[in-house]
Amino acid sequence: MMIQFIVGFFATLSFAILFSAPKRQLIFCGLTGAAGWIVYLLLTQNDSGIALANLAATIMLTLMARIFAAIERHPVTVYLLSGIFPLVPGAGIYYTSYYFIMHDIENFTRYGSETIIIAGSIALGIVFGFALPQRMFNALPQLGHRTKK
Amino acid sequence: MATAREVLTLAVEIGDLLLRNGAEVYRVEDTVLHILEAYEIKDYDVYVLSNGIFASANEDEEDACSMIRHVPLGSVHLNRIAALNQLSREICAHECSLSDAWERLKECKNLPLAPDSVKLFFCGLGCGCFAYLFGGTVTDGLVAFFVGVVLESFLLTTGKSKSSKFIINILGSAIATTLSLLALNFGLPVLHDKVIIGSIMPLVPGIALTTSIRDLFNGDYLSGVIHLMDAVLTAFCIAVGVGTIITIYQFLPGGVLLP
Repeated sequence: MMIQFIVGFFATLSFAILFSAPKRQLIFCGLTGAAGWIVYLLLTQNDSGIALANLAATIMLTLMARIFAAIERHPVTVYLLSGIFPLVPGAGIYYTSYYFIMHDIENFTRYGSETIIIAGSIALGIVFGFALPQRMFNALPQLGHRTKK
Repeated sequence: MATAREVLTLAVEIGDLLLRNGAEVYRVEDTVLHILEAYEIKDYDVYVLSNGIFASANEDEEDACSMIRHVPLGSVHLNRIAALNQLSREICAHECSLSDAWERLKECKNLPLAPDSVKLFFCGLGCGCFAYLFGGTVTDGLVAFFVGVVLESFLLTTGKSKSSKFIINILGSAIATTLSLLALNFGLPVLHDKVIIGSIMPLVPGIALTTSIRDLFNGDYLSGVIHLMDAVLTAFCIAVGVGTIITIYQFLPGGVLLP
């Protein structure tokens, strides 16, 4: 689990660099992605289904992105765009096209619908993550500055 | 006292730059409105799409003016968004005069991107890590690292010559698939599917998907659909690239039979 967290951290961090995120924020981008990935992993290992796992992971990472954004006074986008990558259904796209080519219609529909479900769960997760009012996050900067002193 | 025209030009220029570097519609609209307000423009209207800005100010006055910008969908530069965000914060706090703001805007425009060598390395690292995360072995990660480096060098060279995005995505995923299958053919103990999945990650439309969801959620349906279309078509192109190579591979003599 620890290894997964570290690899997830570096995976997200590398992509944050590709999107030229501000240097000081790279660590937070990495943490956002790694946290989302761990939530996803824990839930899938407990057979909670792919939709719930993606939903919970996305809510987790959206909230973390918003917290970092409030503390560091940066746009949420910086953390969210890089953090979302471990969850994006790249594997789904691959398997869907692979089974389509192989004329394996059963697996094709299975992976195809799974990909759509994942995308939908991510969408809902982001929506829920943003549903909390900004007020709750506005108190955070003081907190952050106090700890810095 | 600045004229409406000067203020509007600044506001729209900042909005343009935000949008160009991948900010969501809501943020752009909000920023432009706040800047106009900060410089005491009373009567204004702003409409932002994911590839255009329409704005007008002081309609009833002598110095009425309006502006239209076309902003093509481009690549994402998060540090520019962050810097512009900081700039607009200062403008709104009235800490920044109009001429200072122009100076700062120029700085934001020229914020350095990561050098190519750094990008190459981290693209490889990202691909390797993802191959491992999605259930590959360490060997898979290492192979994906090299595939990622090659893919990024392809993306960097094509990025400079304004080729069609579709072609780039199809060719990019085809290159990634070819290299992964080559590694399999040379007898490396790799799970080719994990390597392919890891190495197509730089192409996967995660950003378009996220931005589209946020736009839709904010009620900017048109912009949301534009990004969603972008995401779906990109995914389709990746599927075509991967699919074509796998099909060809199946018919090649000496191709290891795929499971």
